[in-house]
Amino acid sequence: MNLAALMIADSRFPGGGHVHSGGLEEAVARRLVHDEASLRSFLVGRLRTAGALGAVFASAACRGRYEELDAELDARTPSPAQRRASRVQGRGIARAARKAWPSPALAELLRVTPRPHHPVIVGVLVGEPFEAAQTVAYHAVTGPATGAIRLLGLDPFGVNAVLARLAPEIDAVAAMAADHADTPPEDLPAPSAPGLDLLAEAHDRHHSEEVRLFVS
Amino acid sequence: MAPLRLVPRPGPQEVALVHLVSAVTAPLGGDDLELRVIVEAGASLELRGVAATLALPGRHPGGSRAVVDVQLADGASLAYLPEPTVVTARACHESVLRARMGEGARLRAREIVVLGRTNEKSGSLTTTLDVRRDGPVMRQTSRLGTPEVDTSPAGLAGRRVFGTELLCWDDDLPGAVSEDWWSLVPLARGGSLSTALADDAVTVERALDEARARHPGSSGSLTRSRTRFRGDGHTQSHGSGGGHHRAGGFAFGAEPVRSLDR
Repeated sequence: MNLAALMIADSRFPGGGHVHSGGLEEAVARRLVHDEASLRSFLVGRLRTAGALGAVFASAACRGRYEELDAELDARTPSPAQRRASRVQGRGIARAARKAWPSPALAELLRVTPRPHHPVIVGVLVGEPFEAAQTVAYHAVTGPATGAIRLLGLDPFGVNAVLARLAPEIDAVAAMAADHADTPPEDLPAPSAPGLDLLAEAHDRHHSEEVRLFVS
Repeated sequence: MAPLRLVPRPGPQEVALVHLVSAVTAPLGGDDLELRVIVEAGASLELRGVAATLALPGRHPGGSRAVVDVQLADGASLAYLPEPTVVTARACHESVLRARMGEGARLRAREIVVLGRTNEKSGSLTTTLDVRRDGPVMRQTSRLGTPEVDTSPAGLAGRRVFGTELLCWDDDLPGAVSEDWWSLVPLARGGSLSTALADDAVTVERALDEARARHPGSSGSLTRSRTRFRGDGHTQSHGSGGGHHRAGGFAFGAEPVRSLDR
């Protein structure tokens, strides 16, 4: 796997991803996630919906067409809270990437979309469809998984094992996404995540009223 | 016999009201249904279901498919309000609503999906909403009837009934409105989507109604001109499942009549 992919997936990467729980904090607040089994269910659902969507766009971004991808991903992300979370994280990565990995592709991306969606900039930086998709699919579950340790006090070794056992599912999502690298942006898959959409909006509402640990 | 009949209220009216009447049991496995709707400039059409759709397995392999293809000319309006779709055990159904909107066109499209009849395990349903107006407005595909996603808080959170309503209808709210199990959100490039999850269809309908009541554009008038409707449909083969059925309709205002484009 290339170094950019490893660095972006690393929780110590200064992209600002650590302040997002991907809807997990709201799910915990409603007791929808309370132990390892319910965390696994949350993660599998997230991987197959939002994870698959992000993976597909990361893969497609390896082939350019940034403006179209930006509009098509917006149309597949009905929740404004999720669109915002994606662009904030994309912007965080851009800040680090401009210093670490300057390239004509990155310059072009930031010229047409100064606040890129997270999966699109990851695709540009990783540059290879399967690995870009795998990075984004992994990112879709690792943030909420570590969030669960902090919010629920779950055993870190147990949560780590839950993540490790998702490997075949993550790779299946990445393989599906890699097959779409050359699909025209308007025909890219658009898996919905009704639960995540509702959790994201509710989190946003509560975040403005009370103290929450995570931004999303 | 065509599985889907279009029954218009007779005569020209402010909004042409057409009921979608299922004449035979459909969709059954093997069925391929297509409904094409054209709404001309300034015309207003309301398409309403009369009864829930039951997606059923059939003797033919390969599942069933229903496509609704909508073309809205500049300033045209369509409210597409079918009754809920119930996905029965072992059904494998795919449904698509594809709409292309002209400038100033308005679309309201509601979809409610019920996973299985009472105490019945659900079959599978893949439903796609694909709306464009000079670029993408809304695209999402929901795959229902996969236990791992249905039960996940990220998917249906264990709820049996899932509803959405797209409101591309004049003004939107600047921000989202939400309760725990429903939301009304402004889309990135105009239009709004409401989403609701519940254990029964009545609760989902109420949530979508409440969301729509908060949508500023939807309180405006529906009408722009008097509209006539001409329906057309034919069935290429008969039998229970395995048929390809097409129906279409054409709503128009004062402009000259154009034949239904196939």
